[in-house]
Amino acid sequence: MTTPVDTSPRGTASRRDSGVRPSSAAIIRAIVAKDAVAFRRNRFLMLITFLVLIVWALVYQFLPQTVDETFSVGVVVEQGALPAGIALDPAALAAQDDVGVAVSVYPDIGQLERAVGEGSDVAAGLRIPAGFAADVAAGQQATVSLVLPAGLPPQYRALLESSAAEIGYLLSGSPAPIDLATDTTIVGTDRVGDQISMAEQMRPLLLVVVLLVEVFALATLVAGEIAERTATAVLATPASPGDLIAAKMIFGTLLAFSEAVFLGILIGAFGTSPVLILVALFLGAVLVTGLGLLAGSFGRDFTDTLILGMLIMIPLMVPAIAALFPGSAPAWVTLLPTYGLVDVVVGASAGTLTWSAAAVPLLTLAGWGVALGLLGVVVLNRRVARL
Amino acid sequence: MVEAAVRVRDLTFSYGEKQAVAGVSIDVAPGEIVGFLGPNGAGKSTTIKMIIGQLRPQSGSIEIFGERMPRQRDDIQARMGVCFEEKNHYPAMSAAENLKFFGKLFGLRAVPVDALLDRVGLLDRRDERVAGFSKGMRQRLMIARAIINTPDLLVLDEPTDGLDPVSAIAVRELIQAEADRGAAVLLTTHDMHEADELSDRVAFINDGCILVTDTPEELKLQHGTRAVTIRRRDADGIAEDVLPLDDADTAGRLATALSDPHLLTVHTREATLEDVFVEYAGRGLAE
Repeated sequence: MTTPVDTSPRGTASRRDSGVRPSSAAIIRAIVAKDAVAFRRNRFLMLITFLVLIVWALVYQFLPQTVDETFSVGVVVEQGALPAGIALDPAALAAQDDVGVAVSVYPDIGQLERAVGEGSDVAAGLRIPAGFAADVAAGQQATVSLVLPAGLPPQYRALLESSAAEIGYLLSGSPAPIDLATDTTIVGTDRVGDQISMAEQMRPLLLVVVLLVEVFALATLVAGEIAERTATAVLATPASPGDLIAAKMIFGTLLAFSEAVFLGILIGAFGTSPVLILVALFLGAVLVTGLGLLAGSFGRDFTDTLILGMLIMIPLMVPAIAALFPGSAPAWVTLLPTYGLVDVVVGASAGTLTWSAAAVPLLTLAGWGVALGLLGVVVLNRRVARL
Repeated sequence: MVEAAVRVRDLTFSYGEKQAVAGVSIDVAPGEIVGFLGPNGAGKSTTIKMIIGQLRPQSGSIEIFGERMPRQRDDIQARMGVCFEEKNHYPAMSAAENLKFFGKLFGLRAVPVDALLDRVGLLDRRDERVAGFSKGMRQRLMIARAIINTPDLLVLDEPTDGLDPVSAIAVRELIQAEADRGAAVLLTTHDMHEADELSDRVAFINDGCILVTDTPEELKLQHGTRAVTIRRRDADGIAEDVLPLDDADTAGRLATALSDPHLLTVHTREATLEDVFVEYAGRGLAE
């Protein structure tokens, strides 16, 4: 049934109200509030937000919060290997937690080889031959025999060889005859030797992902605004393109930042340098907002936006993934926009990063944020102008 | 003479090689409804986009309330209401929320949501999300949005598109009420009957150029054939005669016909706006 339209002049704004341009702040505030409603009512955005915030926080709770990276080594010390009066004390070695090595003493090489072969008691074996200490003291080449299980991956073999050398050093008191080339990039503070739990390693990845997910959120809102032509309607009011874009920037940054802070609290990410991490997360939020504007401007529909968002997300997650494996990242990872964010979050979480040390990665992150933010603004502005 | 609310002079705009608008000039006075008519691709939408500030003219000038568009765009738009052809509402928001949002963009301290929705017959749907609205309901909400700021200039692009006949009549009455209040109204429509009924003047546009601007009555009188059509029953059934009013012998033939006992009907016939457009453009509005 159709209701007739009332043609009386009531139902319009009073003359007092109309015809006066409101302030940009009021317009921006109205658009931000509207975007918050649109976000809240978008099931897809609410779902991915729920997944990232709640499910990831729960997953985090189930990750090992402590670490046991004890390396079991069996040792055969032949008669006369050590100086007279010195004996190997496995209990004393095991008490040194930071070493992370459990040493078992075997009476002969045969029993050691059986233990390594079975793989149940020790990961590798070490035979210190007779005259070892005397040779080292005389400055001569000393040979330590390694007993390794078959099929050991090369990286583990290298690790065992290094560990064996360290044990040799421990026993002899002489420098290890090894030279480890270090042509690698350490993501975050170099914490070699520290016992880092899986949960702690995952923190930067979780925080970066929650930020990056907001690329989808903002891109979806921006693409929707263009596809539905609601941006056209907004721009036929006193709202300028600058107001519209500023509102998107503010909403996107607030959304990404607040979600990252919320998750950070849930997973205890702020450690001893909360302000440093908050600054990094804020700059990261600006960065992803710029990316969201870009993806939203180019996306013609939901699928486009999803694909573009994924294409942006995947490379930007690399620094956070690299932080799971310290020392594994190639140099080009430092060129990615999110590198500074991960670098600061990792270092600040460990409490080993000072403001002066964080200045460069923070400034780099800010530079990326400003550059991508401006690029997003320019592209969106052109897109809106062509509606 | 009343000063024009809208004063457009020699507007041009090209999309690459294609000249969409080639020297359009048009005035709209306060309280006047001007119908802007032309076929698809004639340049109507591009002209409208320039007038409402969405496109920057490549040459020419637009003055609205004595201010230049787009230089004083924000001030002009505070006094303007626009009804778009596409139903560009926020679908996840209710009718009331949509109106409140746009009211805030116009800086209204209190948005008369219920009164506006009542005017367009949507008060009982105020809290329903627009996603569930029919095309006609969205169009009525569009009209409500266009008048939310009591505009001094109302730009309406196909305002009755998608409406049933009863709602279309009601919307036309609302547009007339806005003009009676003093608003200048620029209207584009494909519906010649609507243009004829509503417009104080119509401007025909084709290939980016204004062909003619005049009152619908004058255009219809100046063009086409004024005639009387007479229908009578004869031995073969119903016969129809057309008597052009400008012919010398029409008066005598008409008197004879009126006294014919087999006379069935007498109709006067004048040109329609469609006829006038065809005469100017050499093609129909729907082509």
